[in-house]
Amino acid sequence: MSMHTPEAISGSPPATTMESFYFSAGDHDLFAWLHEPAGRQANLGVVVCKPFGFESLCGHLSLRKFAEAAAALGVPALRVDYLGTGDSPEIEPQADQIDIWTRDVVAAVAELRRRTGVERVCLVGVRLGALLAARAARELEGVAGLFVVAPVLNGKRYLTELRTTRLAALMGVPDVVADPRFGGDIEAANPGLMEFTGYPLSAASIATLTPLKITPADTPAGAQWSIVDRADLPLAKDFGASLAAAGVPTGYTALPGFVEMCLVSPQYSVVPLPMVQVLREFLQGLLGAAPLPAGGAERVPKSAIRGEGGAVVSLPGDSADSRLTERPVCFGTEAQLFGIVTEPAQGEANRRAVIFPNTGTDFHMGASRMYVTLARMWARRGYVVLRMDFAGIGDSNTRPGRPDNDLFPPAALDDLRAGLKFIRDRYGVQEVTLCGLCSGGYHSLRAAAAGLDVQRILMVNPQNFFWKEGSPPDEGWKVSEAVRNPGIYRQKVGSLRAWKRLLTGEVSLWRIARVYTLRALLSLELFLRDAARSLHIRLPQDLGWELEDITRRGIHVAFVFSAGELGISLLKLQAGSSLRRLGDRFRMHVIEGADHTFSRSAARSLMAKTLTQELTAGPAVSSTGDTANRSVGDSLRPKEFQLFTGMVHAESTSKNALQRTSSSEY
Amino acid sequence: MSVRVTVQSMFELVAKEQKRQLLPLTDDMLLLNSGLDSLSLALIVARLEDSVGFDPFATIERFPVTFGDFVKLYENHPQ
Repeated sequence: MSMHTPEAISGSPPATTMESFYFSAGDHDLFAWLHEPAGRQANLGVVVCKPFGFESLCGHLSLRKFAEAAAALGVPALRVDYLGTGDSPEIEPQADQIDIWTRDVVAAVAELRRRTGVERVCLVGVRLGALLAARAARELEGVAGLFVVAPVLNGKRYLTELRTTRLAALMGVPDVVADPRFGGDIEAANPGLMEFTGYPLSAASIATLTPLKITPADTPAGAQWSIVDRADLPLAKDFGASLAAAGVPTGYTALPGFVEMCLVSPQYSVVPLPMVQVLREFLQGLLGAAPLPAGGAERVPKSAIRGEGGAVVSLPGDSADSRLTERPVCFGTEAQLFGIVTEPAQGEANRRAVIFPNTGTDFHMGASRMYVTLARMWARRGYVVLRMDFAGIGDSNTRPGRPDNDLFPPAALDDLRAGLKFIRDRYGVQEVTLCGLCSGGYHSLRAAAAGLDVQRILMVNPQNFFWKEGSPPDEGWKVSEAVRNPGIYRQKVGSLRAWKRLLTGEVSLWRIARVYTLRALLSLELFLRDAARSLHIRLPQDLGWELEDITRRGIHVAFVFSAGELGISLLKLQAGSSLRRLGDRFRMHVIEGADHTFSRSAARSLMAKTLTQELTAGPAVSSTGDTANRSVGDSLRPKEFQLFTGMVHAESTSKNALQRTSSSEY
Repeated sequence: MSVRVTVQSMFELVAKEQKRQLLPLTDDMLLLNSGLDSLSLALIVARLEDSVGFDPFATIERFPVTFGDFVKLYENHPQ
């Protein structure tokens, strides 16, 4: 799948192109992007070695920019997803990821050379990717440079950081009994494996990583280093000095921007332009010894590569002899949009599809890689599944004049419309489900409300139902405070300590007053909206009316929330008495022991089970070859429960539409 | 600068960087409700190691529950 970078869309000559493909890395296939210059190509290439886990999710766009900057200099750049990460196939949970990923870097270098003909290579590694790059460099020839950002120099210290994150994530979270049929609890199933914010490291990986260190001796003969350290935590300074002392040509600079690139919520991530500039200068320095050739390096014809089947990957199906197919796709007219389609086994009679819009600005794999897992799970049940990036997010192009990393892009509906058209035209599907986490849920709701041709919307932890451009992404938390805090204040009214803190100014009276004022306003709004609905007066931005319209059109609507999520309160406040009138086409589940992004596999398995139940519930538009219901079975009957305790108008919600999912029910 | 002040400053700095609303840092404030997520807390610990020269989390099995517990981990750690 080939795409032009935004310059091409705006009419000026394309600076670079990017092409996605799968390639063989020995006993497995890997997904990769190749960024190539539109003009002359140097005899130097880059392989981008990404960091691990959340840092990889958050830093995705920045890594793309590193690759584009290289390609714009005439240096082709390959970004690779290690086995079990991103869009690559799965990895065995007990496998040694560190060893396999090191070999993946070696294989990526070979693939870059095969596709572009370059001889000299620069490895660009971020965090754990830097450690992998240094390990791989030992096995490679022709490594001209190592450009590393906030490198992991000491495996033991890195693991300590990861463990701290894990300990903090487990704070106050109740145990959950997972469902092994839907992924289960990978820590319980694999002794020694640890899951870090949704991303696993096996026991073997931890054992390999613990003693690992990067030393000057790892430098391949003739290679140079460029180290971009974190200004907030400059841990690589001594390493840079030791390289220089060993006579290795080394550049060292400490820059701000790493935290904003890799360690914030992805919607706040910022491409570190000063780091991109340091990479440019480093590559220009490497090119100085071997300037761009007049005619470019000799290159392998692309058609020959495509003929080897590099555009799709085959994945295990639901039986030994069935296979899924996964392929990168490009669609849309105004902006080039990117996605990955997971296709069921050949001969599958189903004509149903699922589309995943982005979660926030997470690229199309989703938080904790959940979209990849769900897509493959549902393709095994006969569904065609598209994981797509909106314009400005992930690997889609950005509309002219719009920013990258647009959390609520105004043209999101156009992008979803393009995705729907693509999936219907290409696969002839009759029933389409939109399924999304957080803002992905919001966009699914907006699509249904706008009349797009969908049959189901599955929304997981949406945090808002209306959005005005320019509003801060966390505006909903003000509402959350107004809903939750009065209850907390009431609990503390008899506490001497609380009064002492209030009287000494530790607690802001103004804040409490603001919370109660907003609470009163919200209650008033709810009352007025319900009154208007009973008089059949339609107020603007009325979630209740919208949900009634949507379900009246036959669209199945399901909400899945983690217990304590803001969206539960908002749904109640904004839909009010309409919830009672939605009937069987509306369902809501609350899952205990889960955080906002379902970062624990045990909770994710319950989410997957619940979503699968909703995906297959009710009358199907097409009744041909429904394989999905077989697997789900009749055992999924969560208890009815009383929800919304302590919330406004708790008694008005229809009990039979609400279900609480917890470990005790399965 | 006392350990408490160092820790408090780091909480405030990271909350600002992460665009998160930090609740007042009192000893009984639950870290779970502080406004910071697990990544933010890990970032605080990593930076404090650089600042105070040790990481009390390297050997513990459970994350402290309140801000006061968190500070005590640093105050009571052998220098």
